[in-house]
Amino acid sequence: MKKGLLALIAVGAALVLGLPAAFGGSSADPGVTARSITLGGTFPLTGAAASYAPIPRGMAAYFSYRNATKVNGKRGANGRQIIWKFYDDVYNPTNTVTQTQRLVEQDHVFALVGGLGTEPQEAVVDYANSKKVPQIYVSTGATEWGSKHKEHPWTIGWQPDYQAEAAIYGRYIRDHIPAAKLAVLYQNDSYGQDYNAGLVGALGKAADEKIVSTRTFNVTDPSVTTQLVALRASGADTLVIFATPSKTIQTYATIARLGWKPAHIILNSVSATQTFMGIAVNLAGAATVNGSISVYYTKDPANPSWDNDAGMKLYKSIMARFLPDADAKNGLYLYGMAKAYSTIKAIEGAGKNLTRASLMKSVDHMTDTTNPFLLPKVVVKTNAPKDNFPISQQALIQFKDGQWNPISGLIDTRPKG
Amino acid sequence: MRRLIPTVGLRAIPVGAAVAFLATYPLYHSNVETLKFTLVGIYLIAILGLNILTGYSGQISLGHGAFIGIGAYTTAILVDKTSLSDVATIPLAGLVAGAIGFLFGFPALRLHGVYLALATFGAAVAFIQLVQSVHYQSFTGGATGLFYGLPKNPYYLTWGIAAALYAAAWLLVHSKLGRALTAVRDAPIAAVSSGVNLALAKTLAFGIASAYAGVAGSLLAIRLGSVNPYSFPVALSILLLTGAALGGLGTLNGVVFGALFIQFAPDFAIDHVSKTAPEVAYGLILLAVLFLMPGGAGELLHRLGGLLKKAAKPLYSRTADRAEAVVTSTRSDT
Repeated sequence: MKKGLLALIAVGAALVLGLPAAFGGSSADPGVTARSITLGGTFPLTGAAASYAPIPRGMAAYFSYRNATKVNGKRGANGRQIIWKFYDDVYNPTNTVTQTQRLVEQDHVFALVGGLGTEPQEAVVDYANSKKVPQIYVSTGATEWGSKHKEHPWTIGWQPDYQAEAAIYGRYIRDHIPAAKLAVLYQNDSYGQDYNAGLVGALGKAADEKIVSTRTFNVTDPSVTTQLVALRASGADTLVIFATPSKTIQTYATIARLGWKPAHIILNSVSATQTFMGIAVNLAGAATVNGSISVYYTKDPANPSWDNDAGMKLYKSIMARFLPDADAKNGLYLYGMAKAYSTIKAIEGAGKNLTRASLMKSVDHMTDTTNPFLLPKVVVKTNAPKDNFPISQQALIQFKDGQWNPISGLIDTRPKG
Repeated sequence: MRRLIPTVGLRAIPVGAAVAFLATYPLYHSNVETLKFTLVGIYLIAILGLNILTGYSGQISLGHGAFIGIGAYTTAILVDKTSLSDVATIPLAGLVAGAIGFLFGFPALRLHGVYLALATFGAAVAFIQLVQSVHYQSFTGGATGLFYGLPKNPYYLTWGIAAALYAAAWLLVHSKLGRALTAVRDAPIAAVSSGVNLALAKTLAFGIASAYAGVAGSLLAIRLGSVNPYSFPVALSILLLTGAALGGLGTLNGVVFGALFIQFAPDFAIDHVSKTAPEVAYGLILLAVLFLMPGGAGELLHRLGGLLKKAAKPLYSRTADRAEAVVTSTRSDT
């Protein structure tokens, strides 16, 4: 009797343990069925970096729009409804690792899309690659996302990389303000160091002579006043700011208080959205902020000159329908939508037999000129293993009276070859 | 020691239930669910130490996250640069963090209350700056941090260590040193006149608390497979103190509730209370809990235990009541 019961339990346990293995053995990858595809990402929705939270919400809005609307005769991504899951990691890698494991092992996402932040995403690169889960279009412009394709074939960035962006500033300085004496303020992490390396590299031999002073700060520093006092005392006439949004705003406010008016201010694109500039103008006054130079590659929802553009109209209609309470002028929503568009393009490019490997093949060999949210003529293009930088064209812009205006055509920093 | 035995006997039931629950948890939960409980175990270890420092010796620390960081970086550097296995680095991480904490205890001797809180807060801020500093970059990996492995789930390792350290903490607070710490907290002058070495007791409390934090940090580093300054924000220190207060300062009964709170309250707040401002909801939860049970979960458990004891008191008292009732009724008869 007892033996029989034991045997029964053993058989039952074997069945329970064996079943998932039996069903998991099919050829399809997790997170994709004939009708749906599950995508996920981690973002700072709360905490100090919560100002980036519009990105996953913009993506959500665009995915909802595509799920509800037939484009080229199909809803969703190539006929599959998109299930989009995003979790808060508070920009803390401890949370990023746990939330990413939750997405992969519990929610069984097909791919990780758009995960935000260099340090948080670095913490899960090895994990994603060891599990062969695509980690695509990370929301960080660190150069490594494109330059380390060999080490991390399942990982890729999306936006122009920071070194390439800084190189554009270097060229601008060389061509337009060759006599400038530069004061560089950069964030002491891989983000700021990447930018600084790009600028120094682009200036080449002239870097030592042109850059008269460099100061760094930690993102956790309460203020940047000491750094700015030192930079001002160096006699520089051009201030280069490579910082995240809150520190950029602080920098503008501080130079206004110090009464320092550099002839030129160059500002990295991450911090140059309308929302942040508006706060900077409020705190520092238009006189200090006007004339600042940056770059962009997406259309600017805060600039009325785009009002009649078809892509901008689409963006605004999606915002009105799916995020009616959000501030549509915040370019981060548009950034999210542009990224969601590329994601759907990549899924479509993977063809009928959608697997994680076929998605990566599509992501790595893409030429898309149709993204309605990017500047006209910007091509989302990859050609692995030579070129793993999807977007590499940007235009210089200058801030004047509440908005950014283009001052150059597209500049391409795509690696040659 | 003999006096302790009946207490142990009474507690055997909840302790046994907890051990059974934790030992079987991974069997019927997914890896991700189990992971969350690994983190609970790690926070539990950190709060145990913090409770010895703040709850028993009365020294507030808003910088405990820094000592978790020191433990995590010790393990990360050793695994990255030497051939030591990650498990072998756990005692070393505890020792390094404990030694630094012990030394930190000396300047802290001169500070009380809010001043001490500020000084420890400074430690939390300074830690992030120091590990990011370019001067130590070759060692700490600077702002990028160190990468030395894949994320792991050291569930049984964590809870095994947590159980051992819980027992150690229990023995400590019931020892001579434990009583000395409590005396230092409640009546420092009386403690000194009874022969307690005030300075030694206080710095030892700092050292022990930091060693606990170091072990917790080491386990966190093993769990993550990488370390980065962003993993040890100032908010972590505040969250730990909150957890310790919720669990109940000066009692070990409720520590696990503090650890559960740290792990699950932020998620709960953003999922069920507010998507945009979970911190506010989280603050309100904290206020409510502290207002309704200022002694934390530990005190609540203690009271519940008291009620149970009352209910289970020998029938003798009830019989006495009845006898009295009989007497009264007899009286009314006459």
